[in-house]
Amino acid sequence: MRQARGKGQGVMGLILIFFFSVLPMAPGLAPLAYGQESVVVRAKLIQGEVPTDPTAAIWDTIPATEFPMSPQVHWQKRILQTTVKSITVRGVHNTKQIAFLVEYADPTQDPADAAALEFMVGDKKAHFAHGQPMGQVEGGPVNIWYWRNDTPGAADMGAMGFGTLKKHPHQDVQAKGVWKPDKVKVKHKERKLNIRKDPKGEPMKDPKTGDPLFDEETKVVEEEMTGVWRVVFTRSLTTADKDDVQIQPGTFPNIAFAVWDGKKLESGDLKEAGSQKAVSSWWYFNAEPPTDYSIYLYGLMAVVLAAGVEFVIIRKVKKGQPA
Amino acid sequence: MKGSSLALKGAVLLAAVFVILKFALPLFTAPLPMSLIWLYLFLATIGIIVFGTLSGESTEALLGPVFRFLSGEGIRGATKALRLAVLVLFPLLVGWETYSGLVSSTQPPGENRTIHPAPPGEFVGLANPVPNTPENVMMGKGLYAAFCSPCHGPKFNGNGPASDGFNPPPANFVDPGTIAQLQESYLFWRIKKGGVGLNVEGHPWKSAMPRWEVELPDDWIWKIIMAEYAGSGHKPRTWE
Repeated sequence: MRQARGKGQGVMGLILIFFFSVLPMAPGLAPLAYGQESVVVRAKLIQGEVPTDPTAAIWDTIPATEFPMSPQVHWQKRILQTTVKSITVRGVHNTKQIAFLVEYADPTQDPADAAALEFMVGDKKAHFAHGQPMGQVEGGPVNIWYWRNDTPGAADMGAMGFGTLKKHPHQDVQAKGVWKPDKVKVKHKERKLNIRKDPKGEPMKDPKTGDPLFDEETKVVEEEMTGVWRVVFTRSLTTADKDDVQIQPGTFPNIAFAVWDGKKLESGDLKEAGSQKAVSSWWYFNAEPPTDYSIYLYGLMAVVLAAGVEFVIIRKVKKGQPA
Repeated sequence: MKGSSLALKGAVLLAAVFVILKFALPLFTAPLPMSLIWLYLFLATIGIIVFGTLSGESTEALLGPVFRFLSGEGIRGATKALRLAVLVLFPLLVGWETYSGLVSSTQPPGENRTIHPAPPGEFVGLANPVPNTPENVMMGKGLYAAFCSPCHGPKFNGNGPASDGFNPPPANFVDPGTIAQLQESYLFWRIKKGGVGLNVEGHPWKSAMPRWEVELPDDWIWKIIMAEYAGSGHKPRTWE
């Protein structure tokens, strides 16, 4: 009987202690402050020089993050369909230099093919569309790293609103692009509107308005494309130019992307140029910080301290003095 | 035995609150964030402690099992092994938690973006000056198709062909949590001033919503609003 009672008390004590102390620490039950989507380009810390060659073998060892792209519809002149539906981005750094590899399918290699990365500069938030002014928030400038196939290197530019884009006096960014006629399969969403029909096969109409009724069909389709751009942007993590983005390992600065398919149409116009491009809004990147070994020491100290407190409490309880 | 039952009831009550909030509630409504669940558990714990410490007898009934578990008094067999495991596990978890708190995060900072921030005073309570006639709604639908559907979709559900790359995504007007909760004047503000017109809680730097006042006259915007309500099957919120 006494043993049974002791067992019951033990179980109850275990439950209470579990609730008060152990359960809140379970990683899966910790408060979630953010989604679990893949929204970060992780620039891995490497030893040695960062790769400036888009075909360097090291890139295949770096995890890629995929970002969907939209046609630029935010301001005039708009475009409603673009060649590039998504891009993948990889990053590496060596605490001095950082490199981003942007990869996307484009069936043709054209002189006006181009890609760009965009960053906020300073502490003020900047709108992803060239840092355009915001009505109720004082915004900051953006730093744009621009590469174009027919222009060697890259342009290091800044903007704070439409029509203000200009090259920085100091060009700190390098870029190199390589196009290969590789066959790749690209997935993207395909949307169709189908006329809703009644059992007799007649088109149905809204009884109130008389408008034809449609059903939307959205599916992910796989398209084979013959051509891939791999473009590498490199720069020092920090520069002396106040108009440049300054990158600190361990932080989460914003990053946005833009891509142009510079194919020449029969009309002589470029398929995508200027504001007619594929864009993303702001996402994040993170330059992996060097390992700080002191955190292991702090963890060990916490174990010792908790064990000490536990020992004192148990001793007091055994002596009949509630802690 | 009485003491056992009070402590057991407290433990069972806490477990029941957790299970209901974490698993049962999401069957009927949106899941609660864990921070809020912990807050409710904390409040329930405070209530149990207050109730359990109203008298010396009840205090013993509530805390006695915990103290006996900690001291090991009367504990035998498998429970003894469990006690040992808890006593070993607790410092290790504290150490792990300390390490986890100090190690560099692999996730970006949380974003507390307000989806429907307060509009500027000049836009509060504006009435739609355009008569809600079939002709005006029809014209609004045409304008919507030309200017809005690439992002918000032809079915008004935010699933337009240009929506994929934007974060936050374009609003889904069919969702009862969007325009069904808003007045026409609110939509007028959002369409006219666009994403860049949001206040800081709305994170205007991320929004791809164009500032349509530079391209569309006000009466077109009002007609588009009528079309959005007609197409989504909702009615504007009113003060009634």
